[in-house]
Amino acid sequence: MFIQFHILVRVKMTIDQEPEAAWRDPSRISSARSFVLMAAGVLIGLVFAGYSLFTARSASTLIVPAEDVALVNQQPISRADYLALLQTLYGVDLSHATQEQRRKVLDDMIREELFVQRGKELDVASTDPEVRSALVNAVELEIAENAITSQPGEAALRQFFETHKDRYVSEGVMRVIDLLNGRDSGKTKGEEFYFAAKIHLGDELFAAARSLGDGEVSKPIQLPDGIHVLEMEQNKRPVPFDFAAARAQVLGDYRNEAVDKLKLSGESFLRKRANVLIADDLR
Amino acid sequence: MRFLLVLIMASLLVAAVFAADGYAARQLLRADPDALPAAAMSLHFAVRRGRPLFEARCAVCHGASGSGDTAKGIPNLTDQDWLYGTGRPSEIERVIDYGIRSRNPKAWNLAIMPAYARPQPNPADKNIQPLTPGEIDDVIEFLMRQQGRPADAGAAARGAALFLGHGGCYDCHSVDAKGDSAIGAPNLSDAITLYGDGSREALHMSIAYGRQGVCPAWINRASAASIRELALYVYSISHPGAGQNDN
Repeated sequence: MFIQFHILVRVKMTIDQEPEAAWRDPSRISSARSFVLMAAGVLIGLVFAGYSLFTARSASTLIVPAEDVALVNQQPISRADYLALLQTLYGVDLSHATQEQRRKVLDDMIREELFVQRGKELDVASTDPEVRSALVNAVELEIAENAITSQPGEAALRQFFETHKDRYVSEGVMRVIDLLNGRDSGKTKGEEFYFAAKIHLGDELFAAARSLGDGEVSKPIQLPDGIHVLEMEQNKRPVPFDFAAARAQVLGDYRNEAVDKLKLSGESFLRKRANVLIADDLR
Repeated sequence: MRFLLVLIMASLLVAAVFAADGYAARQLLRADPDALPAAAMSLHFAVRRGRPLFEARCAVCHGASGSGDTAKGIPNLTDQDWLYGTGRPSEIERVIDYGIRSRNPKAWNLAIMPAYARPQPNPADKNIQPLTPGEIDDVIEFLMRQQGRPADAGAAARGAALFLGHGGCYDCHSVDAKGDSAIGAPNLSDAITLYGDGSREALHMSIAYGRQGVCPAWINRASAASIRELALYVYSISHPGAGQNDN
């Protein structure tokens, strides 16, 4: 009580004695200066608050943000989408589009937005399998999009490459003749990739052919259709790629793996936060 | 009193700068992007703000200068050879917005380069069949001939038949191998390469094992204003004189 009284007396004395000097000297107390500063602060605060209120994305506003062309029940229609649709429908940019073209595109977009909003109100996703499927797909794509935005560093890619080196090899090539009972069976067609030779020869003959070197001949192989002998003219075995050659594939695989992981964790999160009740007979 | 005046003036100045910046950004967004290169002030405003965005988001792949890297299949953004579209700011903006094969539903993802040395060259299109090693070599000779480089005439003729026939290359790269920027199919008849140095080995890698570059979508991660600024910055590095002689 005594302290408060003491301060009040000191303030009053300071104001009464030299009000002008106190106003100018920041080291001295001036109620007039405090009032003006407070008022200025309030004014600046109000300006910022007003600006934020009328331009914030989630706020209800009467002003269409510069990045949008319309607000439909406060839901923005993006200018980028508008320009893209204008280009797709009429093959023109904004400055070359007629008023009619502009209005038509905008009307179409507003109509679509209104119907989408009505669809949400009607909860069409609960009944329409196509909408459900589209929603599932859209959520999966959204998860994948997040994974793709982050660019892995070279060290991470190299580590991925080292861990999965067996994936990054060239396709083997062979030129082999399959003799069936002493005659060319016609199964092979000159130089072929391994996967093609495997399809043409079958698993057993391909396994035998794969182990042959250039110019080598296999032992007779008894199969239901007769005795086969393989003459290997040329066998280029798969060669491991170095990192530089495989990098594009490594990056693709790395991203696909990241997408799969994110999808799994996204689903796990959804399951954790969901309240799922299962019927007694299906538990 | 003087201190207070200085404080108020400084606040007003800061507010004015913010207001002017905000106004310029809104003007930039409301303008037709393809008309902006002719508006020197807007272009310079956007380019000044787009540069740091490019360095923060795009330089990690395209390099600080935007010249790309053929070893990694990163396109050069400083030349006039556009893989997607024709280099108009709206097209560049669309790539930044939605990306390329970014999994965004609006991304450019109509085509990939199939891997013709794999049993299933394009898992999304079962009609595309693998080629034999000899057929791949023939297509390479055809491409060499199209680029005006020395090529085996017989192999090039066979390659042309494959290119226009069951190889299905013409479907994306067009019958004259000049590509199609509507789907991001590169021109194969010029000296500009996206992957590698244009050698037979590099062409073999592309044809045999396929390509499908990715550019992320930024529409949900950056503001519309910064995407437009970025698009105009990319436009400016491929058009060094843009906006200098116009009003």
